[in-house]
Amino acid sequence: MIQEHRLHYIIRNGFLDLFYVWKDELKRVFKDEGVLIFFFLVPFAYPLLYSFIYNQETTREAKMVVVDQSETRLSREFIRRMNGTADVQVVQVVRSMEEGKRMVDEKEAYGLLLIPSEFSKDLHGGKQATVSLYCDMSALLFYKAFLATATDVSLEMGAEWTARNHPQPTGQMQAIAVEPIPSEHITLFNSQNGFASFLVPAILILVIQQTLLLGISMAGGTAREKNRFHSLVPMVCHFHGTLRVVLGKSFAYLLLYLVVCLWVFAIVPQIFSFPQVGSPLAVLLFLLPFLLASIFLAMTLSGFMTQRETPMLVIVFTSVLLLFISGISWPKEAIPSFWKAVGYLFPSTPGIQGYVRINTCGATLNEVAPEYRLLWVQTGFYFITTCMIYRKQLIRNKQRLTACCRALRLHRAAKQA
Amino acid sequence: MKDGNVIKTIGCLAWREMKRLTAIPIYFFAMVGAPVFSLVFFLSLMYHGLPTDLPVAVVDLDNTATSRMLIRQLDAFEQTKVVCVSPSFSEARQEMQKGKVYGILYIPDGFSVKATTGKQPKVSYYTNGAYLIAGSLMFRDLKTISVLANASVGLQTGTAKGITEEQLMGQLQPIEVETHAIGNPWLNYSVYLNNTILPGILQLVIFLVTVFSIGSELKNGTSRVWLSEAGGSLTVGLLGKLLPQTIIFTLVGFLFAAGMYGYNAFPLNSGWGPMLWAIFLLVVASQAVGVFMIGTLPTLRLGLSFASLFGMISFSIVGFSFPVQAMHPTLQALTNLFPLRHYFLIYVDQALNGRDIFFTWGEYLWLAAFLVLPFLIGKNLKDALLYFKYIP
Repeated sequence: MIQEHRLHYIIRNGFLDLFYVWKDELKRVFKDEGVLIFFFLVPFAYPLLYSFIYNQETTREAKMVVVDQSETRLSREFIRRMNGTADVQVVQVVRSMEEGKRMVDEKEAYGLLLIPSEFSKDLHGGKQATVSLYCDMSALLFYKAFLATATDVSLEMGAEWTARNHPQPTGQMQAIAVEPIPSEHITLFNSQNGFASFLVPAILILVIQQTLLLGISMAGGTAREKNRFHSLVPMVCHFHGTLRVVLGKSFAYLLLYLVVCLWVFAIVPQIFSFPQVGSPLAVLLFLLPFLLASIFLAMTLSGFMTQRETPMLVIVFTSVLLLFISGISWPKEAIPSFWKAVGYLFPSTPGIQGYVRINTCGATLNEVAPEYRLLWVQTGFYFITTCMIYRKQLIRNKQRLTACCRALRLHRAAKQA
Repeated sequence: MKDGNVIKTIGCLAWREMKRLTAIPIYFFAMVGAPVFSLVFFLSLMYHGLPTDLPVAVVDLDNTATSRMLIRQLDAFEQTKVVCVSPSFSEARQEMQKGKVYGILYIPDGFSVKATTGKQPKVSYYTNGAYLIAGSLMFRDLKTISVLANASVGLQTGTAKGITEEQLMGQLQPIEVETHAIGNPWLNYSVYLNNTILPGILQLVIFLVTVFSIGSELKNGTSRVWLSEAGGSLTVGLLGKLLPQTIIFTLVGFLFAAGMYGYNAFPLNSGWGPMLWAIFLLVVASQAVGVFMIGTLPTLRLGLSFASLFGMISFSIVGFSFPVQAMHPTLQALTNLFPLRHYFLIYVDQALNGRDIFFTWGEYLWLAAFLVLPFLIGKNLKDALLYFKYIP
C-alpha cells in the first residue's frame, strides 16, 4: 500500500497542514496594517470612545424656565422644590409666556413650566390645580427628567396640602385621605437607569462582530487581489483540503479574538464600572459560539469580496441596522416578524440579547437557552457555507492549474515542432 | 482658462465620473441601495411609532377581586400586556432574566383589606433598566396604575362620606401636571429616531463614497490622468468629479424627506424649504469632510477607515439619544466637527419646533463653512495625486 493512502498518514498530515495554515494566517494578519486596524485598533479604541461619550450616564440639571403667573407663596414654593432636585435646574422665573417661549427658542432652557394665575386660588378653594409642562422634544432624556420631577414635586406638595387642610380625626383616616396606597418604583439590574450601562454592552457585542466581518472580508479581498487566479486560497501544497484550510484559518481568528474579548468584556467594563453581575464562566461559554458564528459568517462573506476595500462600503452601515434589529433599544415585541426573521441571520441578534441578560441581569445559560441554541445553529450553518465556499475555490484552483499545465505543454510542443 | 472652458471641463469630468460610477456595482449599492434599504428598514420597523403590548408580570399575593381588577386595568393599557400572573416574586424575576417581561407589579399580601382600613399597603413596581426604552415605557403605565389604585380606594371611602368626585380629586391629587410635548405630542419614537438616524446614514455613505471614489483613482494609478483632464487644477477636478455624486446624494436625501415628511407625515412645522436646504447643505458639507479625510490620509484603506470611524461616531455624538449638554466639555466642543450635529440642530428648530429662521441661520452657516475644508488640505491631496506611490 502506498504510504499516502494510509489513514494515520492522512490524519497526521491533515493536522500538520492545519497548523501550517493557522500559523500562516496569523502571520498574514500581523503583516496587514489594514486588517490590524480592524482586529486591534477599533476593538481597542471604540469601547473607550463610547464609554467616554456616555460616561455621565444620566442627565443632571436639565435647564428649565418657569412662567409664574400666580406669584404666590405656593407657586414660589413649587419652584423652589423643582430647583432643589438633582435632575432639574430652574434657570429663570419669568412673568409672561412670550418671554419663556423666547428662552426656549434660544435654547437657554429645554422645558417650560407654566404656573397659571389661578394656581393658588384653586388650591385654597379645594379644587384640583393644574401646572402645565412644555418640553422641547429634541432630547427624550430631558423630557423624562422634567416630567418625573414635576410629578414628584406635585405629589409631594399635594400630599402635604391635603394633610394640612383636611385634618382627620385619626392618623389612620389621615393616611387614607392623603395616600391610601403608597407605591415605590425600583429599577432592577441597571439601577441608575444609566445610558452607558444600557447601550455600551450591546455596542461591545456589535463591535466584535462587525470588526470580524470587516477584518476577515478585507483579508479575503486582499487574497483575491494578490493570489494567482484571484483565488481566495493560495496555491501551496499545505492548502489542499477544505477542512484544514477552514479550521486553520478560523482557529487563528479565534485565538486573536479571545485576547480582544478579554479587553472588551473584562477590562473595559471594569474601567468604567458598568454593571457586571453575570458569572465570568457563563459569559465565556456564551461568547464562544458567538465568536465562532461571527467568524464563519465573516469567512462566508469574504468569499464574495473581490477587492480589499469594498467590504467597508458594504458592511459599515449595517451596524446601525443590526443594533435596532437586536431588540435592545427598540423592544423585540414591536419588531415586525419579517425583520425579526432577518435578525436571526446575524450572530449579533442573539449575541446582544444573551450577553446583556447574562452580564447586566445576571441570567445563567439556562435563562438564555434559546439564544444560546440559536448561536450554535448559526455556527453550524455558517461553518457549512464556509466549507462550501472554500471547496469551490480549491476545485477552481485545481482546474485552472491543470488548464494552465495543458496550455503550457501545448505551447512547448508547438515550439518544438 | 476662460470661464466657458472651465464649465466645459467640469462637464467632461462629470461625464467621466458618471462612467466610473456605472462601471462597478459597488457605487450603486453604496449610493442608492444602502440608503434606500435603510429608509425602508427604519420606517417599517417603527411603523407604529410606539411599541404596544409590552409584556409585564404581576405577582399577586392578595388574590382578591380588588387586586384582580387592578391587573385587568393594567392589561387594558395599550402599551402593556400582562403575560404572567405568578404567586412568587423569584419566578417573575426569572421571567425578566429570560427577557420575557420588562416589568413586574407586586401586590402584597392582604392588600385590599389593608387599603380600606388605612394600613397603607405598599404596591411596588419593578422595571428592567437593561432595556431602557421598554423599561421607561412600562414605568409610565405602572405609575399610572398605582395612582389609579389610590384613587379607587379613595373613591370608595370618599363617596361613602358623601364627597363629590371633584372635591375628592382636589384632595387626593391637589396639583396635577399637564404635559405638552412640543412638536411630537404622541412621543412617537419613529419621529424621534428617524429624523436623525436616516440623515446619519446618508452622511456615512457620503463619507465612504467620496473617499472611495478619490482613493481608487490613487490606487488604480488614474489620478494623474484625472488631474491633467482638469487642466492641472484640483478645484476644477474635484468639482467635476463630485458634481454627479452631489446630485445623486441630494436626490436620495430628498427621497428621505419625502418618506418621512410626506409619506409618514412626520411633523414639518417649518414647511419644506428649510429642511430641503438643510439636506442639500448636509450633502455638500459631508462631501467636503470626505475630501478632507482622503487628503489627510491619502491611502484608500486608511481613508476609508477614517470615514467609517467618523461616520459611526456621529450617531452617538450628535446628541439625539444622549444630550450633548450631558457630555464631557471636550466632547461638547468636538460635536461641532460633525455635519450631522448641525443638521440635527436645524431639524429641531425647523421641522420639529417651527422656530423662526433667525434662531437657526448660524447652523446653516456652519454647514456651509465645511466647504473650506478641501482648501485646507488641497496641497497635500494634490501632491498625493501627482507623486504618491500607492502602497497597497
